[in-house]
Amino acid sequence: MTGRLASATAATAHQREWFARMREEVEGGAPLALVNADAPQEIFRTMGIPYVVNQWWASIVAAKRQTPRYLGLLKERGYPDYIEQYSATSLASAFETDPAQAPWGGLPKPTIVLGETTGDASRKIFDVWDAQPGVTYYALESAAENAVPERWWELMPHRWEEAIGSTRLDLMTGELTGFIRYLELTTGRVFSETRFREVMALVNEQQEWNRRTRDLIAAARPCPIAVTDGIPSVMVPQWHRGTEWARDAARAFHDEVRERVDAGVGVFEDERLRLMWIGRGLWFDLDFYRRFQESHGAVFVWSMYLAIAADGYLRYGDDPLRALAARFAAFSDQLYTPPWSSEWYVKEARHHGVDGVVHLVSDDARGGYFTTRALRAAGIPVLELHADNVDARKGGDLTSQLSAWLDELGGGKA
Amino acid sequence: MSALTELLAVAEDRAGSAQGAGLPVVGCVGADVPVELITAAGLLPLRLAGQPERDHALGDRYLGVGVDPVARSVLTGILAGDYGNLEAIVVSRDCEASLRLFYALRELHRVEPETALPPVYLVDVLHLPHHTTTRYVQARIGQLRDWLGRWRRIGDDDLAAAIEAHDALRQALGRVAVLRRENRLTGTQFLGVVAAATALPVATATDLVERLLAEAPALPEAGGTRVFLTGSSHDGPAVYERLEDNGFFVAGEDHDWGEALFARTCAAPTELALAERYQYNGPAAPRASIRQRATHTAEAARACGAEVLVSYARAGDDAPPWDFPDQRAATGLPAVLAERQPYGELTDDALAAIRELTTAGVAR
Ligand code: SF4
Ligand code: SF4
Repeated sequence: MTGRLASATAATAHQREWFARMREEVEGGAPLALVNADAPQEIFRTMGIPYVVNQWWASIVAAKRQTPRYLGLLKERGYPDYIEQYSATSLASAFETDPAQAPWGGLPKPTIVLGETTGDASRKIFDVWDAQPGVTYYALESAAENAVPERWWELMPHRWEEAIGSTRLDLMTGELTGFIRYLELTTGRVFSETRFREVMALVNEQQEWNRRTRDLIAAARPCPIAVTDGIPSVMVPQWHRGTEWARDAARAFHDEVRERVDAGVGVFEDERLRLMWIGRGLWFDLDFYRRFQESHGAVFVWSMYLAIAADGYLRYGDDPLRALAARFAAFSDQLYTPPWSSEWYVKEARHHGVDGVVHLVSDDARGGYFTTRALRAAGIPVLELHADNVDARKGGDLTSQLSAWLDELGGGKA
Repeated sequence: MSALTELLAVAEDRAGSAQGAGLPVVGCVGADVPVELITAAGLLPLRLAGQPERDHALGDRYLGVGVDPVARSVLTGILAGDYGNLEAIVVSRDCEASLRLFYALRELHRVEPETALPPVYLVDVLHLPHHTTTRYVQARIGQLRDWLGRWRRIGDDDLAAAIEAHDALRQALGRVAVLRRENRLTGTQFLGVVAAATALPVATATDLVERLLAEAPALPEAGGTRVFLTGSSHDGPAVYERLEDNGFFVAGEDHDWGEALFARTCAAPTELALAERYQYNGPAAPRASIRQRATHTAEAARACGAEVLVSYARAGDDAPPWDFPDQRAATGLPAVLAERQPYGELTDDALAAIRELTTAGVAR
């Protein structure tokens, strides 16, 4: 058994301090941005404009079990409470009726919300933001491409122009140029390119640490950390990317994993089956991921958070703005568009030496069929769990499905 | 046979009509495919419609059951050969489901070559009202033009001729919309005429529509409580029929199987003007802002003298419910949102709610 990671504890504490300080800054008149997880946050970082990540805030709301109340606030205003709930949660915070119940003292009202026009509903959610007094929605295009690069994870750090395509990058660079001008005009803050280059360099350094950490975990036997424990250690620094704190936090996480590997520490000593988890997490039942250790020697060794940090962000090059455009222009392709996504999952499954993949397929899973297909074609067993049978009330069901599958995989009879 | 009868017969069998026209047929997904280019390459653009009553298990398998059922139905139809022999498929980015459909087709090509699909191409027409977007759309249109060169190289003259031909059809359809407003056509008939126009060679369609316009004085008068229909698009007549069988008259709509398909023409017969035409066409629910939609809906509803506003939101089509509160406010009409409707159906509950609008005091 292993204890909680010091890097995770430190990250969570930092996040609280940062949030309190940000609230003070905003109360003092600083602009505040609300951004999507895959938006070009580096621009705000460069200009010293504080920002909150939409999906992070939704996860805080969910952890405080406030999501239903917030969605109810949307419904009261005539908006649907059943579409893209994760993206809509922060919007609902704008309609807060009971600040005493708001998590972490509540989300201050942003002055700018930034998001790509992905999906059909997400831009509408931002439109509703835009209608609130004092809030501006700045929309960024989201572009798509015919051609598919092979092994994008090898191309991205340096040959991103080739991987993403110049037509998309021309557009995205134009979008960013316009956005910087907008911020210069409306906030009076400076966009220093020297500072921007530092920010870009720090982000790359940070992701290089994540890459080393991912590789350590992939090679280690037994697996040194529980898959759920690594998430704050990766994600909190990810929201602060472009700062020295974030770079150092990624390094501290790496060093902690390194120590564990060197000491031969494992999540479960008698590791017989290594599993990969694809899909959103079962946040209502985190113990789920440990439940099959005693019975089957099965350990979850992979989730997308560290892996996409390792492969999805690195962008080097002489033109930092175009490099930043390249960081987010194809971000969702990397995770969700087959064959970008499916081939990457296969590569990661092999890299981590997994014996099987548990694939949570939600109703709107993007490319779910092709992910499973690619893994199976590569000889990797896959258990598909369908989201319609995945909710808090049916956890027992999931356990028995997974148990039966693990029996077949051979983990039962050690 | 009257032109109306002929057009409605085409609407009944769009794929068969296209296949019978003597040109290689290109399947088009979404209203954002620049059909001018396909015409200019000597091919016939057929806009692909789904079939609500058909089983769409194949589409469900490849796309997942959360995706708009129209896309699942179209994918099923493509794989089953429902559209006949397609020379190519061009997919636009008119909504998220179309993009996913493209990715599925592209991937099936790669990993399941036995499905024997024709070449598939994505034309990424985007809609933010910015010059950067225009440049991008123009680049994409230029790339599609090059790609279609494998059938026939498209010269500037070919392109200009095709743009003029399609604009002539759009203008004729605009006059059909006026006919409907004057109660000379039902909403269902109007929808059929538009559907037919996306399944025929452009010159044939224009001739037929012109003949219909000439026959107009002889058409019987349509009537009913005047509905402006917003929300999801309708690739088949079922919802219109249900409304019109129940005392309503769909006098106008803002989806792209209806008036929104042809509202905008090209400012010049050039590639650049073509790009701008597609960029600024709309505003379509999945792509435009709530504000643009509300303004447009209010104007269009006023133009057709609507008495009530109905927003029909198909389950899996995520945009329309977000537009509704502002549309209701902007039109000032008695309004109903029919949410989470099954594909090609208007539920009894939704119909009852729409009826409430009239009993609640609409003049009639
Ligand atoms: S890392 Fe930077 S942005 Fe984040 S809390 Fe520390 S000082 Fe603030
Ligand atoms: S999982 Fe997808 S939607 Fe959620 S934060 Fe990551 S990229 Fe964004």
